[in-house]
Amino acid sequence: MTVAAVPSRVRRPRRERDGDDTGVSARQWFTPWLLIAPGGLWLLIFFILPLFSLGRLSLEDGGLSNYSTVISDNSTVIIRTFVYATISTVAAIVIGYPLAYVIATKGGKYKNFLLALVILPFFVTYLVRTLSWKILLFDGGPVVAILQSLGILNDNQSILGSPFAVVSALTYNFLPFMVLPIYVSLEKMDRRLLDAAADLYSSPARAFRKITLRLSLPGLFAGTLLTFIPAAGDFVNSELLGSDRTVMIGQIIEKNFGKEFFRPELSALSFMLMAMILVGVIVYARLLGTEEIA
Amino acid sequence: MSNSIDPEILEAMAQHRTSRRRFLGMGGLALGGLAVGPTLLAACSSGSSSSGGSNGITVLNWPLYIEGDEPSTSATLKGFTDSTGIKVNYKNSIDGNESFNTKYQATLEKGKGIGADLIVLTSWNAAAYIADNLVEPLDATTFPNKKNVISRLANPSWDPGRAKSIPWAIGQTGLAYWPDKVGGKITDVNAIFDPKFKGKVTILEEMRDTVGLTMLGMGTNPTTGTTTQMLAAVDKIKKAREADQFKKVTGNDYTEDLALGDTWIAVAWSGDIAQLQADNPGLEWVIPSQGGMLWVDNAMIPVGAKNPEGANKLLNYVYDPAVAGPLYESILYIPPVAGAEKYMTATAQASPFIVPPATPPLYEFDVISPDVAEEVERAFVAATEQ
Repeated sequence: MTVAAVPSRVRRPRRERDGDDTGVSARQWFTPWLLIAPGGLWLLIFFILPLFSLGRLSLEDGGLSNYSTVISDNSTVIIRTFVYATISTVAAIVIGYPLAYVIATKGGKYKNFLLALVILPFFVTYLVRTLSWKILLFDGGPVVAILQSLGILNDNQSILGSPFAVVSALTYNFLPFMVLPIYVSLEKMDRRLLDAAADLYSSPARAFRKITLRLSLPGLFAGTLLTFIPAAGDFVNSELLGSDRTVMIGQIIEKNFGKEFFRPELSALSFMLMAMILVGVIVYARLLGTEEIA
Repeated sequence: MSNSIDPEILEAMAQHRTSRRRFLGMGGLALGGLAVGPTLLAACSSGSSSSGGSNGITVLNWPLYIEGDEPSTSATLKGFTDSTGIKVNYKNSIDGNESFNTKYQATLEKGKGIGADLIVLTSWNAAAYIADNLVEPLDATTFPNKKNVISRLANPSWDPGRAKSIPWAIGQTGLAYWPDKVGGKITDVNAIFDPKFKGKVTILEEMRDTVGLTMLGMGTNPTTGTTTQMLAAVDKIKKAREADQFKKVTGNDYTEDLALGDTWIAVAWSGDIAQLQADNPGLEWVIPSQGGMLWVDNAMIPVGAKNPEGANKLLNYVYDPAVAGPLYESILYIPPVAGAEKYMTATAQASPFIVPPATPPLYEFDVISPDVAEEVERAFVAATEQ
């Protein structure tokens, strides 16, 4: 998407020159191209080319049948992956939106401090953060002990290895990616619009729905993408906190890509994952109904 | 049993298996490498290998297959250079058979060198390299100590007479368990399928280890068994998984749940358990009465090696029992060199990790053809992951 957007942005100065050929120097004409060259080349070499070779690989041996094989073999895993990613994204919105809202509107002079707190856990590596959850959630650990004493869990139930552990960790690990974009869109909102709404006898709830929520949609959309996409492709949380009943697509690919005979099918699976995410994103953008954000 | 071993040694040993098994992220690296093109990566690594002059050799090996954290401090390598004048550029760069293949196999298939004179791969993979002529024969005149290889590994079907490969290290796969949780000693491998321990058992995602042990429990032989017998074992694993017998199908991370006590019985690698026992004296290691699995990593000279003579000389040096004794005592693996035990301390000789008792027997998984391997691997992935 990024790549496709670039030429149109670049063409604009050229068109201006066509209309008004009195004097735009050659240097100015080249400037945009020079500026996108590093990023463009980077994407070409490290994104487009690998994608191309992955596509070619996915058609080796079985051809298109690789795609049908991989879907039928992994149907449970595919459905599970999207269910987990959806739940964790919704949970991130439910937790992240109020958080971002409070920081942006009531944070005052503590705004930056509060934002720093949101990001703080992310100074620790992803892997270690997730591993530390193991210590919290294991059978002899504090969380299980508390839940058992409250009667929520019986003595034989565990948290570690359950879908609950995996989805919670996915939510936790991607929460800042939800909070930050929502915060940015709320922060730059013109507060006077709410005053105007109040002057026009709108209830605060209505003003929130009609103004605040609408204006924060771009942030919500960006946050959803930044949460849903990595959650759908994640292979760490389920590996460390899940069981053989919580296997996600990323794990299947990660574990088996080294086996040569599996590569074409797993490449097909990677493409399927990408296509399904893309479709999901387009549907979501349509549902939100805001064309400018998509 | 192993409590008598120095904890520091145990720790050194244990790091090994952890770092050698593909850890999370390594898969990602391999994936990226493949996407960019194996040749590019291979070119990078061969370009960076500065062997010790025209007289030097470059060795690619698994981590902790030589003494010391840094190969430069290794007594074995130093002794070799002192006695032969050959410098060794030794790299701990192999972290998995599959990732090694992803990086180097394509280059070797073109008959090009990969900047190495010696590589070390597990038997099933070594067999494929020999079948595809990706390695050079060993030279009996510069490597006369080849005759010292222990007899059970002297003549594998995939490399008669060890013409092109020689074992570098041997490890074991057995069971680790908490006696207090399972209620006593375990000797039967079928304990992993016992409903009493439902949800408290972890098995390894390495097909050869888990299927091998399951076959032993079913009374079939993993070294000589038929494809049908292998698939029957996979089916048994599948049924047990469907009944929620297993807590998890794991890579090297099984040690975490085991250490926490969440796992009661684990299909485990000897090296990991040696380390865990240092911190958890109650944890037991057992080769089940039906037998355990054994894996062998083999040294070979890849095609395009610049100094095959030097590589043969290094192998000859290591295969001197007087050199091998202290080396294997230090890395805590079963020495493939006959008579090496005589040059070890009494403590090392008593360690089941270095000198396992003659019974129960240890079996190496049959080096099956690529087609059979694919069939069994596919069935195993379907049984344990999908």
